[in-house]
Amino acid sequence: MSRPAPSGYAAAAEETIRSRPDVRASVTAATRNFDANRARAWAEIEPDAWRDWARDVKAHALTHLDRYLEEAEERLRASGTRVHWAESADDALGILGRIVATRRIRRAVKAKSMLTEELGVNAYLEGKGVHVRETDLGEYIIQLLGEPPSHIVGPAIHRSVDDCRALFHEVLGTPADADPDVLAAAAREALRSDFLAADLGISGGNFLAADTGTLALIENEGNIRLSTSAPRIHVALVGIEKIVPRLEDLSGLLQITSRGATGQPLGIYVSLLQGPRREDEPDGPEEVHVILVDNGRTRLLEDDRAWETLRCVRCGACLNICPVYRQTGGHAYGFTYSGPIGAVLAPGLLGLADAMPLPYASSLCGACADVCPVRIPIPELLLYWRRRAVEAGLVPAGERLAMRGFAAASTRPRLFTAAGDVLRHIPWELGGRALPVLRGWSRERSPPTLDRRSFQSRWKEGIE
Amino acid sequence: MSARETILTRVRAALDGREKEAHPGPFLAWRPAADPVPPVRAFAERFTAAGGEVVNVASREEATSWLQSAATAAGSVVLGATLSRELQPDAPALPPESAAMGISRARGAVAETGSLILDARDGRRAQLLPPFHVMVVEAGEIRETLADALRSLAGDLPSAVGLHSGPSKSADIGQILVQGVHGPGRAVALIIGSGVE
Repeated sequence: MSRPAPSGYAAAAEETIRSRPDVRASVTAATRNFDANRARAWAEIEPDAWRDWARDVKAHALTHLDRYLEEAEERLRASGTRVHWAESADDALGILGRIVATRRIRRAVKAKSMLTEELGVNAYLEGKGVHVRETDLGEYIIQLLGEPPSHIVGPAIHRSVDDCRALFHEVLGTPADADPDVLAAAAREALRSDFLAADLGISGGNFLAADTGTLALIENEGNIRLSTSAPRIHVALVGIEKIVPRLEDLSGLLQITSRGATGQPLGIYVSLLQGPRREDEPDGPEEVHVILVDNGRTRLLEDDRAWETLRCVRCGACLNICPVYRQTGGHAYGFTYSGPIGAVLAPGLLGLADAMPLPYASSLCGACADVCPVRIPIPELLLYWRRRAVEAGLVPAGERLAMRGFAAASTRPRLFTAAGDVLRHIPWELGGRALPVLRGWSRERSPPTLDRRSFQSRWKEGIE
Repeated sequence: MSARETILTRVRAALDGREKEAHPGPFLAWRPAADPVPPVRAFAERFTAAGGEVVNVASREEATSWLQSAATAAGSVVLGATLSRELQPDAPALPPESAAMGISRARGAVAETGSLILDARDGRRAQLLPPFHVMVVEAGEIRETLADALRSLAGDLPSAVGLHSGPSKSADIGQILVQGVHGPGRAVALIIGSGVE
């Protein structure tokens, strides 16, 4: 199997919809559930005021990013944290590789982190002979299955209870008809020994507060607290866009992220981390590293339109409400980040040519913009990337011509009317098969009956 | 040029000419108008809604006797390093990975999110490994908002602060909620002097 890539989107989406109705059912049920919880949680607050505030904090942080990066670095160093900078995925992996080699690390536990998925941390470390264990229950499931995450927050939402039963029966020896409680208890026991045996805990970071050098992480299971507390070394990989000015800013950001993601007032566990264990503390890591990762983020920041994407807090609310994402889940997108936010992050992080056709994987219904906690104008950004794709010659010539023709006709009323008259009189059998969009649409649908008169002429006659 | 300088140079170039956006100021936790709920009650509502248990006691003596009977029932304990002597029950002490019950002295709590504030100086493993976790807090230490709590922490931060808002949970198996995945499956907030019985 070739490595998944955005270019395979159409084929992968079609394949999922045709031959994996279980995936569609699981993803649709899970996302509806997430979205209903978010809607209920937002009814308890004034979401517009919260979203304005969160948008403004992130926009302020991004427009002063150099200053806050330097401040964060200084504060992290002051707390005894070792700070590294990585321009690319290869650089980040190289830094991690040196830490692992010089400390002779054999076993690592991982907290759920999308950035480590983006960078390919697991495969890299396993290549170095390090045993890597994902400890978030969903990540553990997909690690055992050898799959990438299907969703930013719920990596295994494309898998049903029955899938998990069969998997755990095979791997952990649980009964074939075990309840989720039994399955979770078996995973807890298996992973507990991994936590206690690991030399290294790897995490991402939801936010990094510059004024105190605090790394903040949100979760529900306790695996992130354990991964950052039990092993003697903790390495956090953090995108440079995660910086916020002050510890106090986390008050609103942690809450809106939790409410947006799962509808909780706050995730069950929040870790606020300030470096290695101190003398007056009974336990905690002896060594903490923070790797600040660019990997395409400065390129996105340079873009006068698309830099707004960097406000994203990775809550997944846009995936949950997206009618397109719900049909397939995340795998079809062929990129770490899927759904609406993935479709606008991919052109920035990968480059537009490599992200095609993801900006087109949307019906532009606008629901994503309505729920985004930091007000990223995703539909406008999708249109922006589509325009750039046309300018760069990345869309088929036929489509370009058709759109140019449509633009010409729709700005000239007489031509528009005449073109409509012609199209209405083409027999369906001919037109339906010839026009690219209609061809796909009509393959499995019976044709509609068209009125021979235009809407305009009927309007003039007076519609009954 | 180092990676650090390259990244900072790129950031500065990207921001050159872009309008600076102002910080919006403190987070005010805008909510629809409602009757103000006292922090102790708001905390208890949130914490129990997340699956936690709240035990209200009038005094330290009552707290001690509640902890003693819970520890006796559990069979073994691990105690937070900052738990005062008078609150320490008499029960077999085991390391965090084997103890049936952990008792932590919380540094405070947050009403709006239903969270207890745990400090690394009390011991991190004891807060996470036992299946049953009791967090002791005085009613007067419950702050109304998370912003208040973070402001109060800022001058005295340990290597880790944990905000615990209920028992460990996951819905990663088919969207069905289970408790006690990695952290404690049973979480109790023991509130001293809440004025609630």
